[in-house]
Amino acid sequence: MELLKSLWRICVSDKPALVGGAVLVIYLVAALFGPVFVHVGKVANPSLAYLTPSWRHPLGTDFLGQDVLSEVIVGTRPVIEVGLLAAIFAVFVGVVIGLATGYLGGAIDMVLMRVADGFLTIPGLPLVIAVAAIIRSSSPFILAAIIAITAWAGLARAVRSQALSLRTADYIEAAKVQGLPLRNMISRQLLPNVGPYVAINFLLTVTGAIYAEVGLFVLGVAPVSGTNWGIMINLAMGNGALYTSKSLLYLVSPMAAIVFLQVALVFFARALDQLFNPRLRAQ
Amino acid sequence: MISYFVRRLVAALVTIYAVITASFFLVRLMPGNPIEYLEAQMTLQGGMTPDEILARVRAIYGILPTGPLWKQYLQYVGNAFQGNLGQSISNPGHSVVGIIAGALPWTIFVISVALLISFVLGLVIGTIMAAFKDSLFAKVMTGITSFLSAIPIYLVAILLLYFFADQHAWFPLSGTYTVGLKVGFNWPFVQSALDHAVLPIASYVIVGFGGWALSMKGSVVTILGADYVRAAESWGLPAGRVTRSYVGRNSMLPMVTNLALSIGFLFGGSVFVETYFAYPGIGYYLIGAINSRDYSLMMGCFILITVAVVFANLIVDFMYPLVDPRIVMPVSGKRRVVLGKAGQGAGGGGPRGGEAVGPLGAISLVDRGV
Repeated sequence: MELLKSLWRICVSDKPALVGGAVLVIYLVAALFGPVFVHVGKVANPSLAYLTPSWRHPLGTDFLGQDVLSEVIVGTRPVIEVGLLAAIFAVFVGVVIGLATGYLGGAIDMVLMRVADGFLTIPGLPLVIAVAAIIRSSSPFILAAIIAITAWAGLARAVRSQALSLRTADYIEAAKVQGLPLRNMISRQLLPNVGPYVAINFLLTVTGAIYAEVGLFVLGVAPVSGTNWGIMINLAMGNGALYTSKSLLYLVSPMAAIVFLQVALVFFARALDQLFNPRLRAQ
Repeated sequence: MISYFVRRLVAALVTIYAVITASFFLVRLMPGNPIEYLEAQMTLQGGMTPDEILARVRAIYGILPTGPLWKQYLQYVGNAFQGNLGQSISNPGHSVVGIIAGALPWTIFVISVALLISFVLGLVIGTIMAAFKDSLFAKVMTGITSFLSAIPIYLVAILLLYFFADQHAWFPLSGTYTVGLKVGFNWPFVQSALDHAVLPIASYVIVGFGGWALSMKGSVVTILGADYVRAAESWGLPAGRVTRSYVGRNSMLPMVTNLALSIGFLFGGSVFVETYFAYPGIGYYLIGAINSRDYSLMMGCFILITVAVVFANLIVDFMYPLVDPRIVMPVSGKRRVVLGKAGQGAGGGGPRGGEAVGPLGAISLVDRGV
């Protein structure tokens, strides 16, 4: 509660963060309830194709005669779903490995950190693309897992260095003397101290995951079926959106949806940053 | 000192070995893997005996899929280390390595120019932002850089293509140089190659320089607040000397670390940039191979992108001691404390000075590399 109050205070003084938070809420509502109210027909209606914006179709229609605004709204859920899932997977793995290696040290630390270094070195996107191209699945769980393959390593390294410095803290020594089990040490003693850092990184991982996920659909590496922003851009480009000004709105709308969401996430992350780092506020 | 270089080299080789192993796993063991896919496809087409099919699979992937698995694995790894990544399926008669050898230089050319421009631009802007923290410039730049670093590169590429190559034909739509020009060091060719590279380079720079500016700003702000800078100023050292030797060099340390990370990010972006600008570099072939189900070419592109990035990282690692000699000549604990107090040791300890940048600054480049 106290935390929420200071978050609100920070948001009020930092307008971009407030706007970011508000935009995020709108996206979440669209993702949760959008498909309930808005529907995208499956039947093509060429007579309605490429209509200019009107009250009925605020963003016009696409090459199949479907309402672009409805498509953007319906496309919100799959994008946010995969973004959140991938971030949950990546943050979970990153935090567990970071805490375990930082706290335990020794051979486990050596091996896992070399693995993390490897994942940090190899370019993530080509790996994700290669794996996704062979698996060819549009299931959100599998897509999220593929994206998370490379996303955990940076966080694991950062959490590890925090755990390393916590290991010698007095209250950890005290907990050790009491003989608390490892699970308790990690989840009750160490985790709350890296929590803030993890929260900020969670949001940033979501932006990275959305970037990668939409990218997979834009390139047509993930199967083109259903409606999401990446598929919209892919189809718009495939139907010559660059060369006919008629379909510009169809191409630009999903792009704008992505940009607004990403910017909102970054700005909101800044508010969290200030919330957990009082020193930043003082500066 | 030698041990530092040896350790880095071994780590790089192990990473490459791990990537080749992973790609064997993908090609051979994944459900619905490329080799089974190819066999099934050729069986469907008919007109080939099972032996012919096996021979063809062997020609393309370099392994005989009927042997014991460990033998296939050794064959695959052995081939890869000898520079044999098999034959391309969609370009009959061309080896995967041959195709990539023609494509990789273009990608490296565009990426290194883009990296250089965004690095320098980011450093300059970031330093100005830190030095004049409350100026209008700093405020406007903070907004612009946070906005730009949130935009996916494929959107920038599409918009640039739309405005500068399609609507106004200021730059060419596709290719690396005008067909028919004599390749070599002559002005028409160089001019044409630059002309074709402008928009791809601009795409990387637009999404890239903001991250550099923000982390440089964070780094400089931290260093400016350090005691040894205040001490240097109070000794009456000339401002130029303080800026160069005390602030400049120390705030560069995290930048060099980021350099290594951002190379992988740039190669990732090349997939989008080269696809949209139809710029036949390695990212273009990676996506082209996927769309034509040419899995041998796809895995080849993936492996060679990784090798290129690993070696680029190795070069950065080898150059790191130039910026931070402590990494190869660790001083003893006692001496380090004394030095830290005297004012020469950045942040009084660890070789990498980036810890104090704050989570947003330090991690943003890593994250975008997803």
